[in-house]
Amino acid sequence: MNKWVPVVLCSTLLAACASPTRYIDPAADDGPVTMTMDYRDFEQAADAAVQDMLSSGAVDNPTGERYIMVVSRIVNDTMQRIDTDQLVKKIRVALLRSGKVVTTTAVGLDGPEDAMNEKARELRNSAEFDQSGVQKKGTLKAPDLSLSGKIIQRNHKVKKEQQVEYYFQLSLTDLQNGLAIWENETPIIKRGSDKGVAW
Amino acid sequence: MFRMMQLAVLLVVISLLGACASTQPEREVMERDDLRVDPEISAFLAVTELLEKRIDMPSGGDLLKIQFSVQAYQDTLMEWAVTWFDAEGMVVPGVGEGYRPARVLPNQNRFFTATAPHEKVVSYQLHLRVDREP
Repeated sequence: MNKWVPVVLCSTLLAACASPTRYIDPAADDGPVTMTMDYRDFEQAADAAVQDMLSSGAVDNPTGERYIMVVSRIVNDTMQRIDTDQLVKKIRVALLRSGKVVTTTAVGLDGPEDAMNEKARELRNSAEFDQSGVQKKGTLKAPDLSLSGKIIQRNHKVKKEQQVEYYFQLSLTDLQNGLAIWENETPIIKRGSDKGVAW
Repeated sequence: MFRMMQLAVLLVVISLLGACASTQPEREVMERDDLRVDPEISAFLAVTELLEKRIDMPSGGDLLKIQFSVQAYQDTLMEWAVTWFDAEGMVVPGVGEGYRPARVLPNQNRFFTATAPHEKVVSYQLHLRVDREP
């Protein structure tokens, strides 16, 4: 019984020394930079892409209507297991808020993003449903633009430090003619201790 | 004479009622500047220009774009952020709220640009501060 007392005491003391868990305000985050990609990198890359996209006029439809965009493949060519939606979602939200682009969830390379688009149409001719509320044929909108891209990582050793380079490459293709009407690359370079891990 | 007396009484009553009415406290709100440079960083660099223009869009609208340049007296790590406002002074959100880091070498002139996230943006506030990274 008594042999556990020192163990419990040590654990309590160690726990007391640990830094307390706290919330971070992204608008005032002075925390250290990580060698891996963190939320600040995605925010910076998405911000740069959206500002460039808007100022180029590529997403401004001359008819005044919103363009319909589909998200194509965003390849993660880094050593980290990341969800590319961390980048894409920020771009989608900003473009939607700009009033210039709306994203379709009915089409996708690996099937529709929201399968409910199809499922809701299966209610057609079902006697159980009031047919006035069921989606009619030919109501889904085809995309005008496609967003594709790649996130690349390159590691270098510089004396006793390591340099990690991330490249956020994005293209916007006009689906009518297959031409990339907008392209952008945002490099994010980090240099730090060789002991840091970048994967 | 009687009418004059009546008028005088009426005026006194109105004045008394007016005195009883709650008065709005005077609010002290500072006017928003386009440019805010933290004092800690003013010693290291100077903002040499701050320009704004509206870029014409194919649909007929336009977007506010700003450009600013800084010149550093010494090697400086700074951060900057732009907050956008509509005609009513309400914040128009962009992609994020984070500051963008930048390094300015001694005697280097660096130019930065930012584009508003929506056509309804009419004003902005640019904030420059020292990079507080530990």
